[in-house]
Amino acid sequence: MLAERVMKKSPVTVSCEEHVHRALEVMRQHNFRMLPVVDGEGHVRGLFFDVYVIEKLVPEYITDGHLDAVSYAPDIGVLHTHYVSLMNKRVEELMDTDPLLVKPGTSLLSVASALISHDRHECALVVDKENRLLGLITARDVLDWLWQLKDEVGDA
Amino acid sequence: MHNATESHISHILFGLDPVWVAVAILLAIYGVIMMEKFNRAVLSLLGGGLMILSGVLTQERAVAGIDFNTIGLLTGMMVIVAISQKTGVFQYVAIRSAKLVKGNPWGILVMLSVVTAVFSAFLDNVTTVLLIVPVTLLITDALGIKPYPFLFSQIVSSNIGGTATLIGDPPNIMIGSQAHLSFYDFLVNLTPIIPLIMLMTFLILWVMFGRGMQASDEARALVMQFDEREAIKDVPLLRKSLSVLAMVILGFTVSHAIHLEPATIAMFGAAALLLLQTWGQPMHDKDHAYEGVMAEVEWTTIFFFVGLFIIITGVEHVGVISMLAKKTLELTGGDFNATAAAILWISAIASAFIDNIPFVATMIPMIKSMAPTFGGAHELVPLWWALALGACLGGNGSLIGASANLIVAGFSQRAGHPISFLRFTKHAFMLMLLSIAVSHVYLYFRYLS
Repeated sequence: MLAERVMKKSPVTVSCEEHVHRALEVMRQHNFRMLPVVDGEGHVRGLFFDVYVIEKLVPEYITDGHLDAVSYAPDIGVLHTHYVSLMNKRVEELMDTDPLLVKPGTSLLSVASALISHDRHECALVVDKENRLLGLITARDVLDWLWQLKDEVGDA
Repeated sequence: MHNATESHISHILFGLDPVWVAVAILLAIYGVIMMEKFNRAVLSLLGGGLMILSGVLTQERAVAGIDFNTIGLLTGMMVIVAISQKTGVFQYVAIRSAKLVKGNPWGILVMLSVVTAVFSAFLDNVTTVLLIVPVTLLITDALGIKPYPFLFSQIVSSNIGGTATLIGDPPNIMIGSQAHLSFYDFLVNLTPIIPLIMLMTFLILWVMFGRGMQASDEARALVMQFDEREAIKDVPLLRKSLSVLAMVILGFTVSHAIHLEPATIAMFGAAALLLLQTWGQPMHDKDHAYEGVMAEVEWTTIFFFVGLFIIITGVEHVGVISMLAKKTLELTGGDFNATAAAILWISAIASAFIDNIPFVATMIPMIKSMAPTFGGAHELVPLWWALALGACLGGNGSLIGASANLIVAGFSQRAGHPISFLRFTKHAFMLMLLSIAVSHVYLYFRYLS
């Protein structure tokens, strides 16, 4: 099976110039966890993903220090302070600039193995030769495709 | 000391004078290390290799120059610390100490600095600050106050605490090994001055920062909500780590009496803890844990030492070091007090701006070669304390004076509170000079007068 058959076509996107609060608003409206980031001509610039926002909210001294866990610390209020300061930043400052890109002709097997081999790649963006966004494939889309196959087998 | 005209330096490259070849290699490598464009371990190994390839040293002589007591002690302690730090005991102590003073900001600064100094005396300084600084930032965020005074104090305390023992700082490890001074010798001669220097530091920090420090009652209550018991992640491992650590430190204090090098004790302790760490687990898990610990050993530092020892052996072998010692003695007029003072102050100023490890590695053979002038190796002992105090405390002189300083600065920057080189140096250099003055007085009354 090829990526173009499985992908969700024309996904909702966000411009890299957009403010973070606007991107979060779109995600809330559609109940999405991620948004492909594109420029004015529809070229993929990156991927905006809820976990990346959380990564920016947790202080770096926790994430890159020798603190494996901070279960001993109460909520000291830094999440909210950082949240407020992030809202007026631009999407391009928070997005993953190196998302997983696949071609329409890539096999589903290849997409599935790429999804699990990169822990930051929650989804694959399907792009044409000019890097314009055609669709996206999440782990969920792969499973949905297989589910539907099972139904076909069951019906037969 | 060896002379350049000795017959075993016969195959020197292109018939060049080995003295100049050795000096050129040393200066070139030290110079490039100071530029900080290349990894210092790679450079020192390159320099060590050049000493052999150019014919200044034979391979046998080069290998004989590597001080395996230093290497073994460093590696052994790195393994023990890599395992112990996973237990959360350091965070436990830090939080407990902050709560002991009821969340009072100045009290927390003092407590965390004392904890930093004590840990630094037994662990390497970089590890100590990597463990304490994140907890400190959590606490200052909870208090809603600027972390600079806390971090400044911890940098200074880590270097002061590291001076206290044989294992506190790499220069001390080298001095102890090569001058045959035991852990106990350091404990009796260097440790007593450290609380005095800490006290003086706190007095000055109080004037600089402490007076104006305030936190709201809510913020202090938030600090009291930290639950240090949650920090302890693995109680069985904690027991094992603390037992081995205690045995190793006890071993260090009696090592001289039982005729063992601290390196042997550290390596044995490391092996014992590696064995205990995964006792009863399947072979696969044991290998996994073992490889995790090995990955945390700072091999860069270890290989840096290997190359450095060969470079120093090269310049020592051609007679440059003893020549430098002779010149120094001419300048001090062969006066013991003046020589001790010169070593103390020059080491301090130099260590404030250059890496104190190559500096001390060069100074050690130089001081050794002064033995005939002062009536034998035993008479040199006060000079070793001068070198240790100068080189370790000197690390406080500027932001680049010690690796721990830069690590803290990096943390602070990422937390949104950059520490500027000039601001830090302005505060720290003066403090460093005062600590050297206190050391000078101590050395004078205890050993020189």
